[in-house]
Amino acid sequence: MTPAIEVQHLTRRFGSFTAVDDVSFEVGTGEIFGYLGANGAGKSTTIRMLCGLLKPTGGGARVAGFDVDKEPERVKAGIGYMSQKFSLYLDLSVRANLEFFASAYGAYGRELETRIGEMVERMQLGAVQDEVTGALPGGLQQRVALASAVLHRPRIVFLDEPTAGVDPIQRRSFWELIRYLASRGTTVFVTTHYMDEAENCARIGIMVDGKLVALDTPAGLKRTHAPGRVLEVRGPRLAPALDSLRGMAGVLDVSRFGSGATVRVDPERLPAEALADWLRARGVDPLELEDSAPTLDDVFLALTARAQRGDD
Amino acid sequence: MASTRVNHRVGRILAMAGKEVLHIRRDIRTLYLALAMPVVMLVLFGFGISFDVDHLELAVVDQDRTDLSRELVRQVTASQEFVVVQDGTSPDEAVGALRKGTAMSVLLIKKGFAEDVKRGGAQVQLLVDGADGNSATQALAKAQALVEMAGRKLGGPVRVAAPPLEARVRTLFNPDARSAMFLVPGLAAYLLAIVAVLITALTVAREWERGSMEQLFATPVGRLEIVVGKLLPYLGIGLLQVLLVLTVGAWVFDVPVRGSLVALSLGSVLFLVGMLGQGLLISVVTRNQVVATQVATMTSVLPSMLLSGFIFPIENLPTPLKLISTLIPARYYVATLRGVLLRGNGLDVLWPQLVALALFAALMLVVATRRFQRRLD
Repeated sequence: MTPAIEVQHLTRRFGSFTAVDDVSFEVGTGEIFGYLGANGAGKSTTIRMLCGLLKPTGGGARVAGFDVDKEPERVKAGIGYMSQKFSLYLDLSVRANLEFFASAYGAYGRELETRIGEMVERMQLGAVQDEVTGALPGGLQQRVALASAVLHRPRIVFLDEPTAGVDPIQRRSFWELIRYLASRGTTVFVTTHYMDEAENCARIGIMVDGKLVALDTPAGLKRTHAPGRVLEVRGPRLAPALDSLRGMAGVLDVSRFGSGATVRVDPERLPAEALADWLRARGVDPLELEDSAPTLDDVFLALTARAQRGDD
Repeated sequence: MASTRVNHRVGRILAMAGKEVLHIRRDIRTLYLALAMPVVMLVLFGFGISFDVDHLELAVVDQDRTDLSRELVRQVTASQEFVVVQDGTSPDEAVGALRKGTAMSVLLIKKGFAEDVKRGGAQVQLLVDGADGNSATQALAKAQALVEMAGRKLGGPVRVAAPPLEARVRTLFNPDARSAMFLVPGLAAYLLAIVAVLITALTVAREWERGSMEQLFATPVGRLEIVVGKLLPYLGIGLLQVLLVLTVGAWVFDVPVRGSLVALSLGSVLFLVGMLGQGLLISVVTRNQVVATQVATMTSVLPSMLLSGFIFPIENLPTPLKLISTLIPARYYVATLRGVLLRGNGLDVLWPQLVALALFAALMLVVATRRFQRRLD
């Protein structure tokens, strides 16, 4: 079985700036593939090339079996795309938007009605379908946008930052829809900069400055890029102690949050008890110490830091 | 297979057009404005901003002081087209009045006028303030006609000594020299230019600005389908405007439609397609509503008013502008309309204008669709 998306040495330059630099990966059919990166890391540029909207300057890609450079129109017919900037006509009603995009993909008559009816039910848009889209809250708008991107039942759907600016509850229900699509065999390629929701992806590619620096399952990424044991610490006089903790043997990473900090240690070289003793000795007493798990945030920070140091 | 492809294509065009109609309906005030503006402008131009001259202030310098000379003055002013504001003054005083602007023309009757009339050939002198060229030409023409008529009544030919007056086509077919007659065709072209170029440039540029063009490019809707679907509703509005202007022109100002309706419709459609194409090209190049508005105003709205013969006759333009005006489609459309409405022309006379309009439309569409690539780079 051929993969849904095959990318080989894909490169895009704008003048002297290289937005996407020699990126290669494959996405399997029905997979939820996450594409992570900071703003300007090359996520949108990659998506635009994969959707046949932007010509690659080097390398190539096949999407839904077609070459994005030579057969962009056939690629377009087989995919759904929800762009980051715009997905809907805000001055039109929800239903008018759905009808427009359905007929733009060639549905008409009874088939158009059936598809819209199904989608309205699936996305729970029945109550708002006659409302002006621009008057809806962001979360609902994104749901309408997703609905119009998949109305024509594409085999692959590209979602560029679909949950940007959406509240956590709406984000969760949005991801339920994404999982539903995948369960029906749709390949989902999604970019985000929310690390928590990236956990929903089967595999994740991480982009830093146009380069794909890591590609693995969430668990695999954590094992490789955020190894060790993560401990959450809280207590008085923590700040000065943390400063001297950095650079100590066996300490891999220290990051502060609110009233406490997480410390990632190599348990071989620095057992949790030793760390606790060391902290108490510096006045962090009473000390709370809890076991925690590495997150994709840790992975992302480690990879970005490594890229900034310039060693690959 | 081929027919389903065509069906799909038509379906997508209708989808685009239907969406555009919804946009227009959402912003219904713009539509009302687009339809009311021509009527309001036509009424304004037709009644208010009339180019007709009437009640011209006349200073009379009568050095002859005979019954005959007084009769001449009476005859000239009888129709109220000239009104005497000063009488019995010296030539110097009269010229002073002209300078100050209290009088716009001076009728000078030299001593010996009555005897000259009896001898069979008299002359009077007419001085006209040429600062307002349009009024001056009309004043000269009127005075000449009035004096000659009066002369016949007085029993001997009287001529106005004034710069020779060019015979103008306009007088032939618009015998009352009514502005509305002359303006309706020009106004129609001007209004269509505004709607077609400006609105198109704006709506297409808006799709670029909002990013919806990117979304459209990601669908299988082809660029020609985008273009045609988007322009169809505006073509409809444009044609409705033409009808409205012609109807108001006929009802309120008795502007006739004397010539071929085929030539009229053909010219209107060709002109509109060219204007829509130009609007599209502007939006494709600028991709920004503010810049698109400015470019549309500079390249279409202004030339359609100033270089089309609408306000300034093309023959009166300086040569460089006259050359530029050959590139302005409104010029050919105004000529077509005037031909059909006033002169009663048909395709046999107007075909060169229609060919020019067709060439412009074809050129615009080809260039616009070529520049309008379904890619973002």
